[in-house]
Amino acid sequence: MEVSRLPISASQRGKLISAGYTTLSSLSSVSSSDLARDLQISDDEALEILKVASHGSRLERMNKNSVIVNGARNAWDMLHEEELLPHITTSCADLDNILGGGIKCKEVTEIGGVPGIGKTQLGIQLAVNVQIPPDCGGLGGKAIYIDTEGSFMVERVVQIAGACVEDMSEYNRFLQKDFQPSGIKIQPKDILEKIYYFRVCSYTEQIAVINYLEKFISEHKDVKIVIVDSVTFHFRQDFDDMALRTRLLSGMALKLMKLAKNFSLAVVLLNQVTTKYTEGSFQLSLALGDSWSHSCTNRVILYWNGDERFAYIDKSPSLRSTSAPYSVTSRGIRNCATNYKRVKLM
Amino acid sequence: MAITPENLLNGPLSTQKCTLGCPILDRSLGGGVPCNSITEIVAESGSGKTQLCLQIALHFQLPVSHGGLAASSLYLHTEFPFPFRRLHQLSHSFCSLYNRLYNGVNYNPCDHLYVHSIHTADQLLDIMSKIESFLVNRNTQLPVKLIVIDSIAALFRSEFDNTPRELKRRSALFFKISGKLKALAKRFSLAVVVTNQVVDFMGPSEGINGVRVGNLGALYSSGRRVCAALGLAWANCVNSRLFLSREEEIVREDDALVDCSDGHNLCRRTTRFLHVIFAPHLPDTSCEFEITRDGVFGVERR
Repeated sequence: MEVSRLPISASQRGKLISAGYTTLSSLSSVSSSDLARDLQISDDEALEILKVASHGSRLERMNKNSVIVNGARNAWDMLHEEELLPHITTSCADLDNILGGGIKCKEVTEIGGVPGIGKTQLGIQLAVNVQIPPDCGGLGGKAIYIDTEGSFMVERVVQIAGACVEDMSEYNRFLQKDFQPSGIKIQPKDILEKIYYFRVCSYTEQIAVINYLEKFISEHKDVKIVIVDSVTFHFRQDFDDMALRTRLLSGMALKLMKLAKNFSLAVVLLNQVTTKYTEGSFQLSLALGDSWSHSCTNRVILYWNGDERFAYIDKSPSLRSTSAPYSVTSRGIRNCATNYKRVKLM
Repeated sequence: MAITPENLLNGPLSTQKCTLGCPILDRSLGGGVPCNSITEIVAESGSGKTQLCLQIALHFQLPVSHGGLAASSLYLHTEFPFPFRRLHQLSHSFCSLYNRLYNGVNYNPCDHLYVHSIHTADQLLDIMSKIESFLVNRNTQLPVKLIVIDSIAALFRSEFDNTPRELKRRSALFFKISGKLKALAKRFSLAVVVTNQVVDFMGPSEGINGVRVGNLGALYSSGRRVCAALGLAWANCVNSRLFLSREEEIVREDDALVDCSDGHNLCRRTTRFLHVIFAPHLPDTSCEFEITRDGVFGVERR
């Protein structure tokens, strides 16, 4: 930083420069009496200049470390960057559509719904899909799966991974026609290997793992998604001190949001549904309360509509609140069968 | 503390499961009762939940080559009396069915079934630590790989008032019990089977009471619309939920297959179904079954 940018008077600035003090670093080792002699000013005045200068160099150091102070990004750049941000497909085109292309990196997405609606299925699907290589339109990343409920079934992952591999080779065949798919063919086993699975049995373990993630991910930079299935389970067990619960949860959410930003990865939190007593009647809402609902960037609610499963964008800074059907098949999350036919006909 | 992720390839590519003792039932459950998770069986009384539990407990003793886990089981019962006579009958059939395995050996399947009665939810919570030391000490001839709670509903249905505060206390207890059970299941890689009762469905089908949970839009048993007891909170606590339904139809005598009861040329025939309500590893399936002297068996649909 130049001395010319210091918030001092013009005459002081002129004296500094003419005496040869042009940069902040040149001021860093000089004493106030020396400076007073060189500039022919009073000791107090010299001390004042040094104070301003050291404050300036502190600011400069901070600028190098953190983006927050460096407010020089304009919205246009940010929009451009956001458009380039990769998405993780859900394997259901309708769902991808309402999500603006899939689950976004750098953001925290919360997905909630009643038992059996397919939260875990979607979680497993995303853990598999994040690994789709770039030449098939994916991220080629790895996944971290934090299982708090014990619903993660390896055989189901094998099944979904198998279907994903089949779809990829189909895609390759479609693109390259008669050519053999280049490179070594991915096996479902390879996909399993790239899912880092943590099973946690208490809320302290859950917090410990999430605190540890920063270190883990900085050693495993190719992790592109963190899935917590579910954030809720251990926090619904007998928390007498609700204030403590809120503090722990918001601390956890903050950590996850930071991870998402710093490592440009997607964070997906699965949540349960509970009944909430408001205005004299019971309503369905996602668990963990009101303060938690501010913790996530996006909120997707899964629900039954007749015999079809639907997803609804409940909260998002950039997406419209719409809903779309999806279905859970043996191959994983897919478009609804009825919709699929319609699309095919067109 | 070093936290390391589990390598999914180190374990088997399918969760360890134990046969129910019937290939048709096994097929609809993807191989049997899974370890490391809580399987719930929901049904009205007289639908065969206890029988199925006893049968599962017996089959856990089978050697691995026969689909079992060579393990004993812990049976916590909350409904009285414990069906000792039926257990005896089933174990007798079990022995004669697998007589080649147990031939000549003085083997009594009941020796590998540890029964304990539970009266209140707090008692269940208290006993968890005792169960843990019981599992750690391994004084049993075969390791314990199954915990049955028959039924979870009986513990909760009378003790709590229907006020928001009590309901909150109740659901906190659900999550605590479930958390403990899952921790045991994980640590000792054992299976947990709990049974649950049904309540009659009241009120309009839209709104909070009609919240659909799982594959079936509505559960019907004995001609009534029912739903699983203990509500939505408990539904979040189990990994898989199975529903046993039964329907009685009046059929003419010449069509009659079972349960000839009255002499008016009319006969009742009970058809029973097992439905997968939700499970992380199973598709939406159902399968017909029957209860005979020898146990619970699936029926191949023609």
